[in-house]
Amino acid sequence: MSPLSLNPAKMLTQKTAPYLFLVPVLLFGLVFFALPLAASLYLSFTSWNSLVAPRWIGSANYEHLFTRDPLFLKTLLNTLVFTVGVVGIGVPASLLLAGVFSRSRYQALWRSIYSLPMVTNVVAVGFIWWFVLADPWGVLNRFLALIGIAGPAWLNDPSTAMIAVVMVFVWMHLGQNMLLFSAGLGAIDESLHEAARIDGAGEARIFWSITLPLLRPTILFVLITSVITAISYFALILVLTEGGPVNSTNVTALYIYGMAFTDLRLGRASAAAYVLLVVIFLVSLLQLRVLRRGGVEAY
Amino acid sequence: MRMLSHETKAARTDLPKPTDATNAGATTAHPRGVRKWAVWTFKYGILSLGAVIMILPFADMLIGALRTPAERLARPPVYWPTIPQWHNFIRAFTDLPMLAWLTNSVIVTGSITAVQLATSALAGFALAKYRFRGRNLILRFVLVAQIFPFFLFIIPMFFILRYWPFAGGNDWLGQGGTGLLDSYLALILPFAVSWYGVFLMRQFMMTVPDELLDAARIDGASEFGLFWRIALPLVRPGMVTLGLLVWIYHWNEVIWTMTVTRAAPELQTVTVGIQLLRSEFFDERNQSLQQAALAVSVIPVIVLFLCLQRFYVRGLSMGSLKG
Repeated sequence: MSPLSLNPAKMLTQKTAPYLFLVPVLLFGLVFFALPLAASLYLSFTSWNSLVAPRWIGSANYEHLFTRDPLFLKTLLNTLVFTVGVVGIGVPASLLLAGVFSRSRYQALWRSIYSLPMVTNVVAVGFIWWFVLADPWGVLNRFLALIGIAGPAWLNDPSTAMIAVVMVFVWMHLGQNMLLFSAGLGAIDESLHEAARIDGAGEARIFWSITLPLLRPTILFVLITSVITAISYFALILVLTEGGPVNSTNVTALYIYGMAFTDLRLGRASAAAYVLLVVIFLVSLLQLRVLRRGGVEAY
Repeated sequence: MRMLSHETKAARTDLPKPTDATNAGATTAHPRGVRKWAVWTFKYGILSLGAVIMILPFADMLIGALRTPAERLARPPVYWPTIPQWHNFIRAFTDLPMLAWLTNSVIVTGSITAVQLATSALAGFALAKYRFRGRNLILRFVLVAQIFPFFLFIIPMFFILRYWPFAGGNDWLGQGGTGLLDSYLALILPFAVSWYGVFLMRQFMMTVPDELLDAARIDGASEFGLFWRIALPLVRPGMVTLGLLVWIYHWNEVIWTMTVTRAAPELQTVTVGIQLLRSEFFDERNQSLQQAALAVSVIPVIVLFLCLQRFYVRGLSMGSLKG
């Protein structure tokens, strides 16, 4: 046997093993992470319809998006409204639910029920709600009619479509955030609460002065992941409204998808995707900075 | 005893007022029993209200799946079906390519789950149990890479698969054919690794004791043997957790699969199948059949989840608490 034998068992020493174990992940990182990012950065400076070779046009795509494409700016605004809506409603609601859930009995039952939407595929969620909301025979408007309220046309009315989409998104993600929060609550040392109670602190004060500060790492995690998810989300909107009516629910990620695979403006779509990525980075950094000030050093 | 409590009270007079105020309120205005009852009502009131909101849309779908077309077309439509049309669920299989969709879903989801478990476990083991140059760099990359949203990759990945050399009639420059687009690989390869999975498995692998690995090394076990015979059996709960998370995520995936299979209907999974019925959904005569199809697409995942939910909960908390 020569010393350079290619016997795999011999090559796998304590020094080389970690690198070999990481080969699949590193290869994947090259082909399906670094390469796509580089390719779409390049494409964002070109004009490309996938049929003929890309043509270099410098920063024209970015200029177009910000100066001559009012719809792009409208979708950015829609994304902001959607994100503020789902985070502003979804996070406090799931925190409240986690608070009562973690002190209740029959937790397995509650958990099963609240998990149903999050394990359901988004197409089914979209259509299930389409049936509930679709006017005039949707079950929600029938119920509203029973108590004497004329329900709106929800998905067909530009003034209510975004509200409906936000409601459905919150419904879909409520269980997941509730479980995250209750895991965070479970990790808090119960003796701290006991000590405060013995000292005579009321439940509200215990919540504000003890529970909330100790829950900060979980809150930070849920906030950041919720915001990133919301900014880059479009699957539910694609199923529920396709961005309509009159673009009232057209968010940037959905707009980019249509730009790429319907209009075949792949260069401009790549530029828009990078703009959205920068937005996500800035918002995440801002959140980290603001919330870290409160003493969250876990991240 | 009395002395002691008096002393404590005296020593604490410098404490802020709310302490005393809430205490007094609790004991005088609301006798203990009433207060307890109010908290109980509030707690289970909120939980029950939320639970009803969670379940009602599903119930609406199941009731809808049992109607006849005539009941749906009536004005106003009949809400409660007079005779439940259970055969709508059978029609979802006979009138739609449901069996082919489900088969594709199982093939794609099963492959992604198996491959991701393998790549995540190996990488997680390397990152948790070895010290080597570049480890911290890779670890940091795995954390940061999770932030990059998937929509950024849809366009370039589509064309990487399209121009894949020597596949689907392509030459070495990736020209001339369709690349990997018309194959299951197009649905599986882009998800062969998940950064979240690598991170999660690293967390689980950290729990494997170093002494156990060193002892096995002295006994002459190979490095792969350490992974396969010692680490893997110890993190089996972690593998179930990750497997469940991946299975649910990819069974429900629709955007990528829809993008890739638009030109290849024979690869469509169940979620894409029901999405492509969209235009027909608005025809009221078909709605019962389609609500039945929705139910069929949802029920397998719900059953799987209910059986294994304790693993899911564990994964959620492991993913959020960084070690």
